[in-house]
Amino acid sequence: MQFLNNYSNRELNIWAELILDILLSFYFFPKIFPLIIDGQLYGEALVGIIANTIIIAIIYSIFVFGAINTLTKREEKDERDYIYELKSYRVSNIISQVSIYLLISLIVFNPINQVRLNEFTAPMIAMLLLIITLLSSTGKSLTQLFNYRKNI
Amino acid sequence: MKEQRIKNQIRRLRFEANEMTQAELAEKANVTRQTIIALEAQKYSPSLELAFRIAKVFDVPLEEVFQYN
Repeated sequence: MQFLNNYSNRELNIWAELILDILLSFYFFPKIFPLIIDGQLYGEALVGIIANTIIIAIIYSIFVFGAINTLTKREEKDERDYIYELKSYRVSNIISQVSIYLLISLIVFNPINQVRLNEFTAPMIAMLLLIITLLSSTGKSLTQLFNYRKNI
Repeated sequence: MKEQRIKNQIRRLRFEANEMTQAELAEKANVTRQTIIALEAQKYSPSLELAFRIAKVFDVPLEEVFQYN
């Protein structure tokens, strides 16, 4: 319980969010990429994986976020929280923009070079966009945690 | 790390105010306890509004709480 006293409710929620992101990535991507690469991304297989991912997220949220908000006092956001939130959104935005530009470059230059053109299917691009979203979300959480810990 | 140029006397003023706890000050100034911890560690410069609120809690002029170096 001493661990909980060292962290604010907000910090614990950010940690939980970060762990959920990582947990879902480790479950979702290893299952989905082989299907995409083999060109076997059929409706049923995809629906099953997405359904399981959602169920894991819901169960995790009920137990972990429930425990955090029961064991620690919920606090209103103050000016410091808003400042750190803005800083984290900035980092998240930079990660998204750089990644999307890289993805666009890959899509544009691959046909020019005539290399692995068939690899950029719609599901593959969707998964790459999902990874970008995940990266920017992780960057956001890490920036917030860094700022909170730096100033304690 | 960038050094904060705004110094404060919050810890001393809390002690003089009947050893007010960080949580009590946080509640009166309407911020989180973590913000008070960061302020006392001289690692966060508050907004002008928060600075006035803290000075008001201790019932002292602003410059007695915060100094600019």
